[in-house]
Amino acid sequence: MSRKIGVVRFLGTNCDADVYRAVDSTNGLEAHWLWYEDHFNINDYDGLVLPGGFSYGDYLRSGALAAKTTVMDDVEAFAKQGGPVLGICNGFQVLTERGLLPGALVKNKELSFIDRWVTLKSESKNSLWSLNEKECRIPIAHGDGCFYVTNSELETLRSKDQVWLTYKDNPNGSVGDIAGVLNEDKNVAALMPHPERAMSTWMGSQHGKEFFEKLLVNKDI
Amino acid sequence: MESKNLVEKLKHYGLSKNEYDYALKLLKKENLTDIEWALFSSLWSEHCSYKSSKTFLRKLYNTSDRIVSEEGENAGVVDLGEGERIAFKMESHNHPSFIEPFQGAATGVGGILRDIFTMGARPIALANYLCFGESGSNRLSELVSGVVSGISFYGNCVGVPNVTGKTKFHSSYNKNNLVNAFALGYYGKEDKIISSKIKIPGNLLVYVGAKTGRDGVHGASMASESFDKDSESKRPTIQIGDPFYEKCLIESCLEVMKSGLVEAVQDMGAAGLTSSSFEMSYGGGLGLELDLSKVPLRDQTLTPEEILLSESQERMLLTCKAENLDKIEMVFKKWGLDAVCVGHVRKEPEILLLWKGDTLCKIDPNLIVGKAPEYNHEFETKMFIENDQVESSTDLLGYFHSVHGASKEWVYDQYDQRVGASTLLDCSEQIGAVVLPESKRSVGIALGCRQKLMSLNPFFGGADAFLHPALALSSKGYEPWAVTDCLNFGNPLRPEVMGDFASSLKGLSLACESFKSPIISGNVSLFNETEGENICPTPSVGVVGLNTQKVLDDYEPVRSSFQNVGSEVYLLSCRDFIWSGAFLENIQGSGDLEFKKVNEFSKILIEIARSKKSSLLSSRVVGSMGLMGSLFKMSSKNIGFDLDVEIDDERLFSESLYEVVLEFKNSPDLDIPEDFGFVYLGQTKEGGELKYSESIIDVERLKKESKDSWNKKVGV
Amino acid sequence: MKYGIRVMPKKDVLDSQGRAVKQVLERGGFSLSECKVGRYVEIESEKNKDELLKMADYVLFNPLIEDIEVFEVEA
Repeated sequence: MSRKIGVVRFLGTNCDADVYRAVDSTNGLEAHWLWYEDHFNINDYDGLVLPGGFSYGDYLRSGALAAKTTVMDDVEAFAKQGGPVLGICNGFQVLTERGLLPGALVKNKELSFIDRWVTLKSESKNSLWSLNEKECRIPIAHGDGCFYVTNSELETLRSKDQVWLTYKDNPNGSVGDIAGVLNEDKNVAALMPHPERAMSTWMGSQHGKEFFEKLLVNKDI
Repeated sequence: MESKNLVEKLKHYGLSKNEYDYALKLLKKENLTDIEWALFSSLWSEHCSYKSSKTFLRKLYNTSDRIVSEEGENAGVVDLGEGERIAFKMESHNHPSFIEPFQGAATGVGGILRDIFTMGARPIALANYLCFGESGSNRLSELVSGVVSGISFYGNCVGVPNVTGKTKFHSSYNKNNLVNAFALGYYGKEDKIISSKIKIPGNLLVYVGAKTGRDGVHGASMASESFDKDSESKRPTIQIGDPFYEKCLIESCLEVMKSGLVEAVQDMGAAGLTSSSFEMSYGGGLGLELDLSKVPLRDQTLTPEEILLSESQERMLLTCKAENLDKIEMVFKKWGLDAVCVGHVRKEPEILLLWKGDTLCKIDPNLIVGKAPEYNHEFETKMFIENDQVESSTDLLGYFHSVHGASKEWVYDQYDQRVGASTLLDCSEQIGAVVLPESKRSVGIALGCRQKLMSLNPFFGGADAFLHPALALSSKGYEPWAVTDCLNFGNPLRPEVMGDFASSLKGLSLACESFKSPIISGNVSLFNETEGENICPTPSVGVVGLNTQKVLDDYEPVRSSFQNVGSEVYLLSCRDFIWSGAFLENIQGSGDLEFKKVNEFSKILIEIARSKKSSLLSSRVVGSMGLMGSLFKMSSKNIGFDLDVEIDDERLFSESLYEVVLEFKNSPDLDIPEDFGFVYLGQTKEGGELKYSESIIDVERLKKESKDSWNKKVGV
Repeated sequence: MKYGIRVMPKKDVLDSQGRAVKQVLERGGFSLSECKVGRYVEIESEKNKDELLKMADYVLFNPLIEDIEVFEVEA
């Protein structure tokens, strides 16, 4: 039976349909919408994805307004229960604003928005989110993608194997070249690049597929 | 004798004395009320009425079985077969972008998107054509960075990918930059084209979207004037664009459209509520009752006149059956937007404007919209000067260090080119392309209009504005399908400006006709004149092409730079007209242009690009700095090229109409008609070196320098 | 001297950020009639207030869409 994956939509989310398609096209996964104003039954889902794209126009702070919506109460409960949650770009910002992931995402070093292909290195070794590929090519598209933590927090992240992905050639000034992180329990993961835009040869890369396939991995690993 | 009062009013509302007299005659009245002044002022502005250009626009080629939209809609729609249709249009936002570059460009993107989804199409691609003053001109860096970040802010947030664009520099834009935004929307099998024309009396008139503020009151009449030193004081409240609201408006509008809850929809663009209500009414031949006191306001002190003229962004008017109002309100509420009933459709073709229980105005829209003035300004056309010999600059390095040749990566890096996950060809390619959701075929987008050619000869320039992008599409396998134009010119009261207008439109129209590509939509921006200086004629053109090949998982499109080491490179040419002028000085040309032959050339290109046998890997229509310019652009740090054949400098560096560089995976076995040249140039090789005669170019280094030059020359 | 410079959207100009923040606060059950989002800049300088206004005019705000207020802040 297919795993049921909830795709969360906030007002303004604009990669929702792209992520929905990416999830649904992965064998063994079945995508379902979750609306920002509604509660959902956390036991009905096997995984959640928070897509990218300007919820609430990135106003105030990227992700801050979406983090306060009704649906996030249940996302938090689902995550606390150990369910796998993947955040992409703005979804990453929402998860940090909600306190489900460490750190914060601030304006890119060069201040402007960047759309570019980047090479990511897989860092985390022992989680369900650890990638088989050592390196992958995936595009970024963000204005507030510079990951920030203090030096001591960075050390903690490293020592606890919470650094999920790093940039080979840091595009935005992220501390420790970090492109993606995990929570301490390793069930919540998020990255700034867009795997749903790297699903086939004509898009420029197929490396994005593995990110969605990870939602098939047994969550009790 | 005219009273001083009247003279001042005419100036304030931007009407001429003749137009005022004409309005009185139409209304059979002795004088106009304030509301009537406001209505005539905005609806008879150049921007809304096209009074100086209409007579020329009627002659443009626009008959085709492909066109499935009616005349007078917000954008044109063409059929692509397999149940799929697309709507597209290009529109200018020049004046607002010069005053406040960030908001001006942002609201330009917002406006063109609304033209598309008003018709029920989901926007799937954006593009833009930008012109700025020469390097070192006043405010250049502020204008460039403001415009680019405004487009980036709006397009990225609203979630429509920006897939291609052009950025041009010329001294005639020093005090008059151009921002032309293009948008394309998609209809699947089940989607209906939504009209703006009201057809059912008794239906309710519903206002949806953002509340009305004082934004841009009198904006439309301002867009129809030349800039002068007083422009500063005449400035209306700047319109602020909110892409977040627009995104919610797109989703909610498409939702009520798909559910069949609405009859007609019109966006509130220039001249806001006035133009939208009058156009809906005039288009459908029915009347409207509109109660201005029911319009949701941001500021309760707005007067009825201001409400009518406000250009607040992200607003729409729609009509629906009374029983659907509740459902419509629910959909908009879900997306956090207002939907308020402000009136209804009347059987009598009259517009009734109400304010707090009083009738402000009762007027037949036909008198204002249908009977708007129309002018036939004098024009004189430029004669073409032919040169026997065309001398070209061979300064390749100089060109790629100049603002014209500098890498535009800084610009397109700021645009989200891949949101939607359907982008097949992005801004780094010669054309943009997106995959069609249902059939998995793809549409290509290319923009044209080259200042150099335009200043050499407006007829050729106008034709080339279509032909150059049309061939860029063909060389990637896209059949040019339909066209939109955005006609930016100077002051129409100057005969030489109207002469350029007439000649370039003639060239454009004949070229489109020879390709059977109809011009389905467009926009005119006149009065691009500051302190007596007019811009170079700039009819920018958006061409959309269809590639019927299915984009399956492993599909590889034809690209614009060398893909493999060891592949064979050829030059296919038509080359009837040779010219030069990469640096915009001493522009020379010689020869003629035969549209029929160019069309044949296009067909050969499409066949080559789609053929599996020889497998075309990459292609590029030759442009600035001729063949060498193109070979450099196609090379990279990993793949270089040795020019294997003896070619003289004139041939290497001059431009011509037209030739295309082609990179084949396998030796091509092609049957090219004798009329066209087909020459072997050499093989691609490993490493980033470009070699010709005695010269060697370090590709990576020059590309890096070209990128840095942009920042230096533009000052960003 | 330490100066505070408050930059706020002009009265007639749409404040899209304020509008979005208001919406979320209201959905969160809070009651409010208006919300505006601006920017705050602090500058330490020996110059007088007029000079500060010049600095503000130079780059800190866009007079087309924003108003500013310059005031002295206690050290």
